[in-house]
Amino acid sequence: MSGEEEENAVELKIGDEFLKAKCLMNCEVSLIFEHKYEHLQQVSEDPMNQVSQVFEKSLQYVKRFSRYKNPDVVQQVREYPLSFFSFVRVYMPYDFDRILSRHQLTEFELCVLCNLCPKTAEEAVAMVPSLKTKGRAHSDEVIEKMLNDLSLVKRFE
Amino acid sequence: MQLHPRFFGQNLRENLVSKLIKDVEGTISGRHGFVLVVTGIESIGKGLIRDGTSFVTFPVKYRCVVFRPFKGEVLEAVVTTVMQHGFFAEAGPLQLFVSNHEMSDGMEYQAGEMPNYTSSDASVRIQKESEVLLKITTVSVVATEIVRTISITLFTMQLK
Repeated sequence: MSGEEEENAVELKIGDEFLKAKCLMNCEVSLIFEHKYEHLQQVSEDPMNQVSQVFEKSLQYVKRFSRYKNPDVVQQVREYPLSFFSFVRVYMPYDFDRILSRHQLTEFELCVLCNLCPKTAEEAVAMVPSLKTKGRAHSDEVIEKMLNDLSLVKRFE
Repeated sequence: MQLHPRFFGQNLRENLVSKLIKDVEGTISGRHGFVLVVTGIESIGKGLIRDGTSFVTFPVKYRCVVFRPFKGEVLEAVVTTVMQHGFFAEAGPLQLFVSNHEMSDGMEYQAGEMPNYTSSDASVRIQKESEVLLKITTVSVVATEIVRTISITLFTMQLK
């Protein structure tokens, strides 16, 4: 499908375009779709007729496989880390962008982890093998810490 | 984006955008995958009249959400059909197929009203509507209609 280099998500060979693009988790896509669906409802009586089968199937899919259910949490945690945590007196400024930079993850890896929510380092590496490659050499301990960070975010739902 | 002159006038931009959405949403490209939803217009360039016609072509830059599966990627899917040589699953608009050769040893096909694959110790059962975790091994675009992949099962979760 691609040009010279063989594509492979295991080694994060997904093309510059996609490495640089913003990657969305299922829950974020779900928000976007619902927004579109509401907009369609305003302009037409039968919104489901207006959308393609691709959209319909995708909407069902992201709704079913969204791990973070509360839309406010998803939006705030992704974009406004400080405001969301302002009411929390304990020092716990965990949010996705920080997790990204702290653990040197790409958006692609972060999204796969958030979509699948692995419980152990072993599961995480099975799902995102590139965690152990790309010169970052994350040890199991580091990976467990990362998973812990992600689950802390979820606890604020 | 090409537009017929009858769309010109006050609502030109609106017409352009709605035509763009209609033309582009729900399509597939080998490079970008499924185009799911257009989320914004970045710019609309100057229109160029096409020689010999009255159509005008406008270059439009837009943002959209795409779904692009990668070889080696792991994702969740829902089983749709179970057959003797494997099962089909869907991840949104993406069709996946897992052949029985690629399943772990010990998974056996059971025919019947609800055909399924059961592990030898009966702890795992894959049937229609089961949620499975799959790793993509090959991606192919078939006639630009469906992107088909062949995958290996990693582990499964059964839908209660």
